[in-house]
Amino acid sequence: MGLISWARKRSPWIAHFCTGSCNACDIEILACLTPRYDVERFGAILRGSIRHADILLVTGPVTRQVRDRLLRIYEQMPEPKYVVAVGTCAISGGVYRNSYNIYPGVDSVIPVTAYISGCPVKPENIINGLSFLLKKIGESK
Amino acid sequence: MSTFDIPIGPQHPALPEPLLLKLEVEGETVVGVDFDVSYMHRGIEKLLETKTYFQGLPLVERICGICNAAHGLCYTLNVEKLYDKEIPPRAQYLRVIVEELSRIHSHLLWLGVAAFEIGFNTMFMYTWRDREHVMDMLEAITGNRVTTEYSQIGGVRRDITPELAEKLLKTMDVVEERTKYYIKVALTEPTIAKRTQGVGYLSPEDAKATCSVGPVIRASGIKFDVRADDPYAAHDEVPFNVITYDSCDVFGRVVVRAQELLECVNMIRYALKNLPSGPFRIKLPMKPNAGEALTRVEAPRGELLHYTLCEGTPKPYRYKVRTPTLANLGALRVMLTSKGRYVVNIGDVPIIYGSIDPCICCTARVQFIDVKKGKTWTWTLDEIRGMSKKVKA
Amino acid sequence: MSFEESFLNELKSVFGEKIVESKISKRRIFLKVSPEHYYEVIQFLVKEKGLYHLETMTATELKDYIEIIAHLGLSTSVSVKTAVDKNSPTIISLCNLIPGAEFYEREIMDLMGVKFEGHPNPKRLVLPQDWPTDVHPLRKSFETRHNQPLRDVGGE
Repeated sequence: MGLISWARKRSPWIAHFCTGSCNACDIEILACLTPRYDVERFGAILRGSIRHADILLVTGPVTRQVRDRLLRIYEQMPEPKYVVAVGTCAISGGVYRNSYNIYPGVDSVIPVTAYISGCPVKPENIINGLSFLLKKIGESK
Repeated sequence: MSTFDIPIGPQHPALPEPLLLKLEVEGETVVGVDFDVSYMHRGIEKLLETKTYFQGLPLVERICGICNAAHGLCYTLNVEKLYDKEIPPRAQYLRVIVEELSRIHSHLLWLGVAAFEIGFNTMFMYTWRDREHVMDMLEAITGNRVTTEYSQIGGVRRDITPELAEKLLKTMDVVEERTKYYIKVALTEPTIAKRTQGVGYLSPEDAKATCSVGPVIRASGIKFDVRADDPYAAHDEVPFNVITYDSCDVFGRVVVRAQELLECVNMIRYALKNLPSGPFRIKLPMKPNAGEALTRVEAPRGELLHYTLCEGTPKPYRYKVRTPTLANLGALRVMLTSKGRYVVNIGDVPIIYGSIDPCICCTARVQFIDVKKGKTWTWTLDEIRGMSKKVKA
Repeated sequence: MSFEESFLNELKSVFGEKIVESKISKRRIFLKVSPEHYYEVIQFLVKEKGLYHLETMTATELKDYIEIIAHLGLSTSVSVKTAVDKNSPTIISLCNLIPGAEFYEREIMDLMGVKFEGHPNPKRLVLPQDWPTDVHPLRKSFETRHNQPLRDVGGE
């Protein structure tokens, strides 16, 4: 494992994008930053700008209006990039399946590396999923 | 003086919910605004027509992930009006307890996000840490932190044991002590006063004309609270005070929400002490009677309304939901428009927008278009916040 | 006599035959009026009875017509219903009377296709920009997609 991938594994910078979800998963992602769950001890920081991020967390079923934004954000991320679909809505459309305004899951729009399921996802699950992803990133080079 | 159009796109480092705010700007002051809420449209009203009333409850709870207890409560109360049966009083009291717990968690969340908007990160971490006590209690009582689906058609899902009631009372003591500290901070800390007083002004006449609801209208001195005006569940028996404040600005909304936390604590204590005995759930048949029903509930953000038309089948013919944020958009437009001596700066936009407690958040990607020179450039919300701190200090 | 009954009697004495149907229950009054008298009934409720708060506006597609309901009220809700023709649905806007009606009417314009005369800002509110202008999702003729197949993504 080279120096760069060691650094990547030790301090992942995370960006977050909501594609029309009910916000419960977003609050739980935010709760990971707070003192109870404290994801910063793993070196992860939530960043506002996409160009600084390694990992993109996507929540919510992809609505029609938001789809182009999601594609644009994915293109703006620098390589190597990892996309995590957080929550049942991002995986398959969730409770909103069969609606006229929804695409069935994030992976019908952009390629996804990891899926974390739950409705909404518990913060412990998010940390668990992220640590699996980081282990895979570390093993990749 | 020419006007620029600034689209504030969806994405917020703190609370993302895509919304497009199009601001018209002259120099540094905002003169006009329009909204585009189509990013969040999920077609819920149409989906509800394809499911039975009993199947629709999980979908209704997920309209909003923060005030989901209010949506679930409104839905079950609404559907129960189509039956001719009486709901046991113990269930109504338990519903009030979980509803007020959910209000506490929502207001603490909002205090943290508002503090984040004005750059006060410490308070954000403090309030969200205290919020975890409330989430633990919600999980112990209902089984989940959010989207609890505690209120069911016919009653509630689980009962509360005396040990759990003891634990809840102890948590209320902790929340009360922390809330008094936050009220003290809000009233005496000079940074909060400078950033919020005089900002986001909404006169009582404008508040009534735009039909705004919730803490927004209560901070303009008008006493309008659905729990007092149109009581539902056990609210006609559990006493409380309607909190108003006369400053009509963002500071008033901070004070109203912080003081409402204390009222919630008192209501939970009263409900636990006077909990009636009896069953907590009754079984209702699949098919309600034909008719229509209208229910209003005071969600943490304001008045929430559900309306349904039933033709005697298990599935609704029409189901209508009106969330409080839609009602407050008109007020938001008034607050964001400079008029006469009231001037709105770009740096104030995040906190004004946050003060209506939107259940639609956006990422602040602000794009500036200089019409004369034909240049475009982009600032993120963090950069605007940084600019606003320099201007005010 | 309850508050709702006395309120309804007062309305009937003012408007007489213009109120076609009515129904009351606890703190709820439902009235049905014809489209010509819709504005004046709401004007009376707002100006004379002080019901300045417009809770929301609902549109329902029934078999023969589209029903528009304006829900007003602070403590007791008064819902004023009127019927609009399905093929050319037009009704007068309430924005001059109650500025807060703007967003509710825009939502009905998008989802049901009803036109409001005199609306100050008849732009799209909830549907995406690339949605065709003559398709209205809440109409009964619009079908939702059914049963998209699920796939297995694997993993732990």
